[in-house]
Amino acid sequence: MRVYVVDNGGQWTHREWRVLKYLGVDTKIVPNDSPMSDLQGLDGLVLSGGAPRVGIDPEKMGKNGEYLDAFGGPILGICAGHQFMATHLGGAAAPAKVPEFGKSVLKVHHPDVLFEGLPDRFEVWESHNDEVTVLPPDFTALASSPNCSVQAMRHRERPLFGLQFHPEVEHTQFGSDIFRNFLKVCENSTEHEVLGA
Amino acid sequence: MTFDAKAFIVEQVEAIPKQVPGKAIIACSGGVDSTTAAVLASRALGDRLLAVYVDTGLMRKHETEDVARTLKDLKVNHRILRAADEFFAALRGIVDPEKKRVIIGNKFVELFEREAKPFGADHLVQGTIAPDWIESGGQLRDRIKTHHNVAGLPPNMKVKLVEPLRDLYKDEVRAVARALGVRVAERQPFPGPGLAVRIVGEVTPDKAALVRDASAIVEEEIEAAAKDKRLALPWQYFAVLLPIQTVGVHGDLRVYGQTIAVRAVDSIDGMTAVYSKIPHEVLDRISTRITNEVPGINRVVYDASNKPPATIEWE
Repeated sequence: MRVYVVDNGGQWTHREWRVLKYLGVDTKIVPNDSPMSDLQGLDGLVLSGGAPRVGIDPEKMGKNGEYLDAFGGPILGICAGHQFMATHLGGAAAPAKVPEFGKSVLKVHHPDVLFEGLPDRFEVWESHNDEVTVLPPDFTALASSPNCSVQAMRHRERPLFGLQFHPEVEHTQFGSDIFRNFLKVCENSTEHEVLGA
Repeated sequence: MTFDAKAFIVEQVEAIPKQVPGKAIIACSGGVDSTTAAVLASRALGDRLLAVYVDTGLMRKHETEDVARTLKDLKVNHRILRAADEFFAALRGIVDPEKKRVIIGNKFVELFEREAKPFGADHLVQGTIAPDWIESGGQLRDRIKTHHNVAGLPPNMKVKLVEPLRDLYKDEVRAVARALGVRVAERQPFPGPGLAVRIVGEVTPDKAALVRDASAIVEEEIEAAAKDKRLALPWQYFAVLLPIQTVGVHGDLRVYGQTIAVRAVDSIDGMTAVYSKIPHEVLDRISTRITNEVPGINRVVYDASNKPPATIEWE
């Protein structure tokens, strides 16, 4: 299975690559301005977090928008990747009332494929100044933390997922299980959607 | 699948000679990363490699003797440089932590290039690991701190860099070190700029001596407690000298002394960390010993911050 990590400049982009590698995936970190043609034939994409403030400097998010429109396969957006997914698809992201750094507790309200087999409450690690304030149309919020209502979201039909917290770091509980669940989606998503083609 | 240290060793021992057709020197601090890189490079290059250790005056207690022994045991061709005066002179008056890191990085390369020339080396092998270049930033990535071996390199550097451990994290480097029989495989991480980033404010030989002695006490007490199973050995544990003076009373006399912060964290890869829950009786011993045995220190505080939002080192 081939799943690449789109690098939006996060401190933990390389950790995402490491978790995927440990799960036996053929993976690579690619710059966020890579042409769509470099992503042909992949089974899934991870849009990493990063220093760019999605609301303030969206131009630093490169071709993330094009990937969301035209990649077709499963996409997992993390932190800035998650926030950009929301804004690009008609929702909104803005500075968080209470930014979260470090330890927090996730509450899963809507058990979905990403959280399959996991408890409905566990410890996750955060590092964000902005957050999703308006869900895009056709998205469902899946989980929250005491200071952030959209910690996880997914598109109701398309395999698009967003996480505000960081499943790739060692101190987040069940992080690699979440990646494993995402990979199951990648595996089962045999029909690559044809969008914008 | 997890990390296969043996396969990694075979791969690198084949790859390094392709990158280094001639001779190379390796920057070796005696820590896990650079010692592991030195052994890998030594296996790959034999006597075409010279390991250079620099005593910056900012090393831990007994470090230089210890490193000399490690390199000798591992049969790595090496040289020990004593350059404390040069480092202290370059750091005089500098308070900004980022400036300290850049000055130290530049100084290291100056010394390595000075050694490379007579040896005939045109490559510099470094034990750079993933968090070093990640946290040093570049392009989209913000600079969290200048790792001296990445962002502290001078732009006009003549020797070419070879970094065999670039994609590894500390836990993976330790696995390679164990497979290579490196004695320091389990040693706690120590920053390249050494005690300079554990002295908040200007670096002087006197302050280096204080923080060195305080750190040795932290290490002794925590290691002794771990040996007796009173705590699990943290990932990293050390002292930081703060630029704060506070009032104390010593033998019915007022003193106005300096402050040591004790830092201990648990981590796997250094990218996230939680502060260690050190038992109070261990903290008590550390505090009593530091304030009694290190002249000038009359207060000890414990750092209860995680990474993020803090980082492990203070600077």
